[in-house]
Amino acid sequence: METLDFDLIILGSGIAGLTAAIHTTNASKGNVKIAVITKLHAMRSHSVSAEGGISGVLYPDETRDSTELHAYDTIKGSDYLADQDAVEMLVKNAPTEVRFFDHIGVSWNRDDKSHIQQRAFGGMSIPRTAFAADKTGFFMMRALYDEVSSMKNISIFHEHFAYGLLMDRNRFVGLSVIDLATGSSNIFKAKTAIIATGGASRLYSFTTTAHSTTGDGIALVYKAGLPLKDMEFVQFHPTALVPNGILITEAARGEGGYLLNSKGERFMEKYAKSKMELAPRDIVSRAIITEIKSGNGFKHEESGLGYINLDLRHLGEKMINERLPMIKEIAQKSINLDPIKDLLPVRPAAHFTMGGINTDTFGRVLVDENKTPASGLWAIGECGCVSVHGSNRLGSNSLSQCSVWGRIAGNAVAKYLEINKSSVSVSKEVAASEERKILDLFNRKGSTNPYFVKSELQKTMDENLYVYRNREDMMKARRRIADLKEAFKDVYVQDKGKIFNTNLRDVLEIENLLELAEAVTICAINRKESRGAHAVVEYPNRDDVSWLKHTIIYRTARGTGISYAPVKITNWKPEPRVY
Amino acid sequence: MKESWISLPTIYMPMVGVPILLFAYTLSVLAGLHSIDRILLDLSMVGLLVFGVSGFRDVYIKHWKGKRTKLRPAVVLNKENQENAGKADAGARTVKFNVKRFNPDTQRLEESIYNVETDAFSNVLDGLLKIKTKTDPTLSMRYSCRMGICGSCGMVINDKPSLACETNVWENIKDEKITVAPMLGHPLLKDLVTDFDDFFEKHLFVNPYLFRNDLGEKYHPTQQYNQTKEQLDKFLPFSDCIMCGLCLDACPVVNTNQEFIGPQALSQAYRYYADSRDEAGKARLDHIDLLKGVWGCEFAASCSDVCPKGVDPAFAIQLLKTEIIKNDLIKSKESKS
Repeated sequence: METLDFDLIILGSGIAGLTAAIHTTNASKGNVKIAVITKLHAMRSHSVSAEGGISGVLYPDETRDSTELHAYDTIKGSDYLADQDAVEMLVKNAPTEVRFFDHIGVSWNRDDKSHIQQRAFGGMSIPRTAFAADKTGFFMMRALYDEVSSMKNISIFHEHFAYGLLMDRNRFVGLSVIDLATGSSNIFKAKTAIIATGGASRLYSFTTTAHSTTGDGIALVYKAGLPLKDMEFVQFHPTALVPNGILITEAARGEGGYLLNSKGERFMEKYAKSKMELAPRDIVSRAIITEIKSGNGFKHEESGLGYINLDLRHLGEKMINERLPMIKEIAQKSINLDPIKDLLPVRPAAHFTMGGINTDTFGRVLVDENKTPASGLWAIGECGCVSVHGSNRLGSNSLSQCSVWGRIAGNAVAKYLEINKSSVSVSKEVAASEERKILDLFNRKGSTNPYFVKSELQKTMDENLYVYRNREDMMKARRRIADLKEAFKDVYVQDKGKIFNTNLRDVLEIENLLELAEAVTICAINRKESRGAHAVVEYPNRDDVSWLKHTIIYRTARGTGISYAPVKITNWKPEPRVY
Repeated sequence: MKESWISLPTIYMPMVGVPILLFAYTLSVLAGLHSIDRILLDLSMVGLLVFGVSGFRDVYIKHWKGKRTKLRPAVVLNKENQENAGKADAGARTVKFNVKRFNPDTQRLEESIYNVETDAFSNVLDGLLKIKTKTDPTLSMRYSCRMGICGSCGMVINDKPSLACETNVWENIKDEKITVAPMLGHPLLKDLVTDFDDFFEKHLFVNPYLFRNDLGEKYHPTQQYNQTKEQLDKFLPFSDCIMCGLCLDACPVVNTNQEFIGPQALSQAYRYYADSRDEAGKARLDHIDLLKGVWGCEFAASCSDVCPKGVDPAFAIQLLKTEIIKNDLIKSKESKS
């Protein structure tokens, strides 16, 4: 076991992580020694799958848009659970970030005046989503990876899996990391760390997200005893392709696509008369499930899934080729349908983790519900809960969140390191015990197939914590997850090889998923109201008197603890959410 | 007729493009007449365009117009016909997967044979994941997004370098099986996993990032850089590279000469060179005006044939060659006058 020493570790190489790497470098004039640790190749992070675009008020004079309006849309979209000071930071900084990506090479779609074009998105009053066709995340990631590769102070550790967060009381000191290519586990110690590992949508089997989105960073923090926030809020994207769950961007509806039930009706008229298909995602997802449950859907015979249709045929070939080429490619390659000629079968799929690591508005990880930050530890992007999305994120706000807090955390780390120069240490005992964890897993004799645990867990979440929830299902899920946690103690790693052992990596991921599934379920059971993405049949209404607060969940020696933290309200008082 | 992945563009390009290019190059050097070399260059550009388009057409036809599995008609949901997710369908079918696995202990490829249950929508990645989760957890491969955009799952399927997540099983059964092997054009690590270190080094060699002098504006932006649609179109087709490594695996030059930096990196050199926002200018051309750079390319064009995103690296390399020649001519003209 080796110990490597850095000033800053960035865990995760998506848009948030790489943006932070660039801004730390720039703010410190290249003097901060950075390790970017990623379990994939750095350019393959799930951010590449972001399709529709990034929100930001770019041309307020021409479009009559304003940051206040962007903030209002975001807060109303969040069902008033967003912290409004954080939202103000988001909308104020987002335009700068869109331009920053122009400056590092993203191929934004342009209009005739060579302005960056913007398209309509769900819950937004005005088209304010900048886009590069429907591959926005991909282009942003390529530009970031290429930019980072020009910086000599940044070392990228591809295919390194972090399995232990090492803290010295409230101070970050390091990570234990396994190098997949060689199988050796090492200690990375550093004065600071930024966790940017993304969400945990693989808690579900029907999801839009990559196989890699197992919430490892969130679980690392949780297992180290630090709190998570608002884990009950899981976003279900209304239009995921059936049967594979691949995302059909909201931009398809932003550009004018219709949702049709089996009677051929644009059923959104019944649920959101003014916004129709462009209502926020929680509302559209509930509408689709309601239609399917009341017999107005279709059935996909191979998978048994119910669905409704997305109609893009009237948009025309030119529009689809120019603005939605990837979803056309995906529909053709994966299910042999052409959106220019055919209806696309879609249903809601797990898409985004609104909750996550409890942070303050600057992205610093909090050790409790009372705004006490840990030293030298940040969590940004989807894995952190700032919270700008509250109980329901608006489409295209995620890319702005990742880049805005990438810059904020990046600059903050540079400043922190100017003041805090003393190095940290990891004791030999801690290093040895971290190494033993992996050896123990290897040597363990068990009889349970870890992939059985994973598929059972995903099935439990699919069935019981989907778009609509009820108490009985949630209690059932909690018991089932407890059983699976017990079963997990008996799993075995069949692959005993050192080189590229993905069997071992998968077992570590499944352990993380189990922890997070439990957190989601407990938070969901405790919130006795319906707000945003958390719709409980028994409590159909929002209850601002008792529940206008964030859920905080943490692990103690005696099990899990729950507490609550107030929502920061600045200018926008909660009002009924009608579209 | 047995279909080979070295197909039509490979024939068009050397037969039409190379002669035109060489003809233009030789004559323009000999002539020294500026008006003529101008014409010759334009001619060569037309030549390049013609076979670039024809090559792209072939790739397009192969990727889009192939024979596809027929879909079932839509079925309406009702009281008698409820959802039943996860229930196996009568249409499922067992397919034999022959997986050539690299064993790091013996340093050899060893074949394992698996029977995999698939349906009309299963792709090769689904099949491999089924093997891993149900039959043999020791099987290793790379994968992540499963939607053809992360570039992880490049491998050789039925002798053709492909993305596993974009390759439908039923449409690609050959001799009653699917054959899967690692990309031999990269160093092997384990099973289907190959080492990408060299590949990333080659990518970095071309300085693949926008070079700007206005660092203040770059890091603290106040407005967008102006770029017209026409300027955008110049580099857009080459910006779709997902770094999957398939083109390097297919390139006959890379496979015989490890020094050659290869189609992926060179296509990215062109992508940044052609971007109106880039300020590196001609320095980018000098940097790859080398035998291991653009001149290593022998125009087999198999890179463009296997590229799953239609990037056409072969075309990018020929465009770079043209730019370099044009640049040389301008230089020689200047030195004469």
